[in-house]
Amino acid sequence: MSTRLLSRAPQDTPGTWKSYLGLTAILLVSAFPVYWMFVIATSSDEAVMKSPPSVVPGDQFLANLREVFGMQDVYFTASLINSLIVALAVTASTLFFCSLAGFAFAKLRFKGNNILMFVVILTLTVPNQLGVVALYILMGKLGWNGTLLAVIAPGLVSAFGVFYMRQFIGHAIPDELVEAARIDGALTLRIYWTVVVPAIRPALAVLGLLTFVATWNDFQWPLITLNGTDFPTSMVALSDLASGNYVIYRRVLAGAFVATVPLVILLLVGGRQLVRGIMEGALK
Amino acid sequence: MEHFGRRGLRVGAAGLAAALAITGCSGQALEGNNNTTAEGGQVTLKVNFWGDMGLDKLKAKYEAANPNVKIVLNTGEYNAQHEDLQKKLVAGSGAPDISAVDEGFIVQFRSQADQFVNLTDKGAGALESKYLPWKWQASKSTSGQQIGLGTDVGGLAMCYRTDLFKAAGLPTDRESVSKLWPTWDAFLETGKTYTSKSNKKFLDSGTNLFNPVLSQQPVGFYNEQEQLQMDGGPKVAFDIATKALDAGISANLASFQPNWDQGFTKDQFAVLACPAWMLGHIQKTAPDQAGKWDIATIPGGGGNWGGSWWTIPKQGKNVDAAYKFVEWLIQPEQQIEVFKTVGNLPSQPALYKDPAVLDYKKEFFTNAPTGQIFASTAENLKPQYLGKKNGPTRVAVENVINRVGQGGIKSADAWAEAVKEAEKAAKS
Amino acid sequence: MSLTDVRAVRTEEPKPAPPNGAKFWLYRFDTKTVPYLLIAPFFILFAIFGLFPLIFNAVVSLRHWRLDDPTLTGWAGMENFTKLVDDSDFWDSLLNTFGIFILSTVPQLLIALMLANLLNRKLRGATFWRIGVLLPYVTPVAASTLVFAVFFSRDYGLANWFLSLVGFGEEQPLDWRASTWSSWMAIAVMVNWKWIGYNALLYLSAMQAIPKDVYEAAAVDGAGPWRQLWKITVPMIQPVVLFTVILSTIGGLQLFNEPMLFDENPALANGGYDHQWRTIAQLIYKVGWRDLDLGYAAAMSWALFLIILVVAAVNAIATRRLGGGK
Repeated sequence: MSTRLLSRAPQDTPGTWKSYLGLTAILLVSAFPVYWMFVIATSSDEAVMKSPPSVVPGDQFLANLREVFGMQDVYFTASLINSLIVALAVTASTLFFCSLAGFAFAKLRFKGNNILMFVVILTLTVPNQLGVVALYILMGKLGWNGTLLAVIAPGLVSAFGVFYMRQFIGHAIPDELVEAARIDGALTLRIYWTVVVPAIRPALAVLGLLTFVATWNDFQWPLITLNGTDFPTSMVALSDLASGNYVIYRRVLAGAFVATVPLVILLLVGGRQLVRGIMEGALK
Repeated sequence: MEHFGRRGLRVGAAGLAAALAITGCSGQALEGNNNTTAEGGQVTLKVNFWGDMGLDKLKAKYEAANPNVKIVLNTGEYNAQHEDLQKKLVAGSGAPDISAVDEGFIVQFRSQADQFVNLTDKGAGALESKYLPWKWQASKSTSGQQIGLGTDVGGLAMCYRTDLFKAAGLPTDRESVSKLWPTWDAFLETGKTYTSKSNKKFLDSGTNLFNPVLSQQPVGFYNEQEQLQMDGGPKVAFDIATKALDAGISANLASFQPNWDQGFTKDQFAVLACPAWMLGHIQKTAPDQAGKWDIATIPGGGGNWGGSWWTIPKQGKNVDAAYKFVEWLIQPEQQIEVFKTVGNLPSQPALYKDPAVLDYKKEFFTNAPTGQIFASTAENLKPQYLGKKNGPTRVAVENVINRVGQGGIKSADAWAEAVKEAEKAAKS
Repeated sequence: MSLTDVRAVRTEEPKPAPPNGAKFWLYRFDTKTVPYLLIAPFFILFAIFGLFPLIFNAVVSLRHWRLDDPTLTGWAGMENFTKLVDDSDFWDSLLNTFGIFILSTVPQLLIALMLANLLNRKLRGATFWRIGVLLPYVTPVAASTLVFAVFFSRDYGLANWFLSLVGFGEEQPLDWRASTWSSWMAIAVMVNWKWIGYNALLYLSAMQAIPKDVYEAAAVDGAGPWRQLWKITVPMIQPVVLFTVILSTIGGLQLFNEPMLFDENPALANGGYDHQWRTIAQLIYKVGWRDLDLGYAAAMSWALFLIILVVAAVNAIATRRLGGGK
């Protein structure tokens, strides 16, 4: 009996109640911190200090939100807008430049194509966090420290994006299509716009989502360059909420919850694309 | 999927437009407004400080009287605000128009007096006679530039919970309570009695014992030659703090952190060393405990913990408007207002005789005459010299005390460790 | 499509279009120059904001560069590095980084494997489960760490409440931040929580690429599902396992967000009162932006970079060996 079942590959084996139980357990653990964030975000101070702790949401959500948004030294409203600006700018620029380069690497013939592509892959492995000290000095010389430019500029392109686009374009667009357009007299940029872009929309969606999530959540570099300015991103504003002389958990987590909501929505809307992107080997 | 792809693209296109707008055209908008914007005579003044300095009402009042001025209050974490100011001074931009500087950092900043507006140039010299002489001197550089106008002095007293004291069979009126602890040893004994009778902790943390005791010593971490003097005052204060921790009378809550705030409302400690500025924090953190607190004298007699200056970094675009606001802030009327709202004691001795201060009784603290209590400690003060590295050194030693509280290190080994950490901080 | 699938592009020359005059030059420009223009933005931007800081970092590390004392400049030679060798803070942080790294990487990858194995079935609502396990991945690490910081608090934390259910810490609740082990564990829980789902999907995609007949051939010996996982699936997806090990190494050794925000007072970048959970990345932040000693912070960054290279190489070799080698 069991032998017969196992002659099938796992992906053809129907899940048993045990698999569903296991998955449900993991899903609950995955969701719990976000849920509990909401619970505290909706609670009063009393409820936060209760024992046993409360696990159902309270009714103070609006009051807590009002406090968070009302703290004039945290710039919470502005921080959400800043995060949105940064994430959108970085995403748009990554999509544009990486698809251009990916197209060139996948479909155009030029001297050094393979070597340069190899360089791109090498740069994938460089942990650029390690350059933060020098980056800070560079931004200081440019006068960009403390401005959103300091956070946007390092994110404008990504090696992974180039790599991902090259792979996708290589597979998705037959060489003949490019050749045919060329014989019709189309110039390279025109081919990019009329042939490549329409064909790679799914890949743009995937890369866009991954980039947006990573940029929105970035913490270390924004903290270094934006802390103590009027231009925090929402992550920096969160760390502001969590330090100072009057740190109040329900207020901190109300802020954290607000900063998380856009991403949960993104997951609900674009979950399929994210899953696909990661299964295709996306980097953090 | 196809559907999403198109949407993704549209989002992308909008974002690209935004990116171009940002990188191309509106770089100005992103860079400006770090501190001030002047549009049509409108002046925005950003004021950095920590905790609550009682400015909320004053801000509204000043803005009403000066419609062209907008005040932005920016409170933050105590150490971070000073470090941030330091960074911005060196960067040459981004500093607030007005920054509070605490006594623990004033030496560090007065040694960079070039970065600040010399307030005597703005006519502050006339104010000298109003101030406690040491307060006026402390913010002056060696070459005579005055970088700050004093706002408050800490003074020192001991706040305690009358209801908890009563439940533990201790006296509750401030005279009798003050008599319980003429010395710190007597204070610890009281703590032991309290803990054994109530089965609750007496103190909030070791660090809030260390700091007031240290502030009573003639020499703190550093002497005036900037040499670390761990064997003097710090040793005395450290020993008293660890003695308390060993006696098991401390709740070991890191001060100014959320658990400490929760400790107030959950009755986790019954006393708290109170410089005048602490009153505001108690009131704000535990508003329900009005009438349950009172203020006695501090063991060991007098002392000063904390107290700040308002400084004006030179890089600001509206230093004149900033000075005008600061000068207004330190006028008696405003200083008394701050004193009444958050408790901060002015650093101008004339005000100690002012009936508004002298006769003031704080309802929250069982009508304690806070003016009398703190003024008497402030006037007889011999100020301590706090070195350039006082800030980081204090954090380093506090860390060790907290470790003793957490049980991470034996108090017998802790002193050697504290010396080591302090020496490291002195060199950082 | 994966990292290991980088195929060479065709290199034969295309048939040139009939050239004449201006059109010829345009054609030449379009085929010879435009490709470089297309890849130029990437290389230029990367050179400025990616590569340059890394190299310039080396220069900074050899100089005095203090934010609190701009007058102290000039070459320091190896001074920052010799200071590093004797700096117990650095070595303590290195130990913490590795400790937390191991506590977070090993369980993370093992649980991810099992989760991937669960997902690699014919499931109702397969997409739902896959999206569900990504919730931690999209949750901002700052937000989730702040939740965990409350979760692990001493007096009213949920973690201690769970422990009290099994009778632990009744009279003296566990102070998670106090001791080395408990703080490492708390941080490891945060890291594991965040990355298990993500790694599981990486494994899942590799598992689904395994040809089905491999399983059919192996079925004869009656291997149970558990043996099937370890004997067939895992060896077959070894390249991806290697990939995740390297990714986790690079990420784990640069761990910053979790230890930073776990502190009761994040602004101090203490990593515990004994710095018992301060990681290297956090120490770099403290040295650079609290002590304001950028030269020394740069030297630490370089040291960390070298360590990452070595560890990633060792890990890659070890994983290959353990996986049976090829």
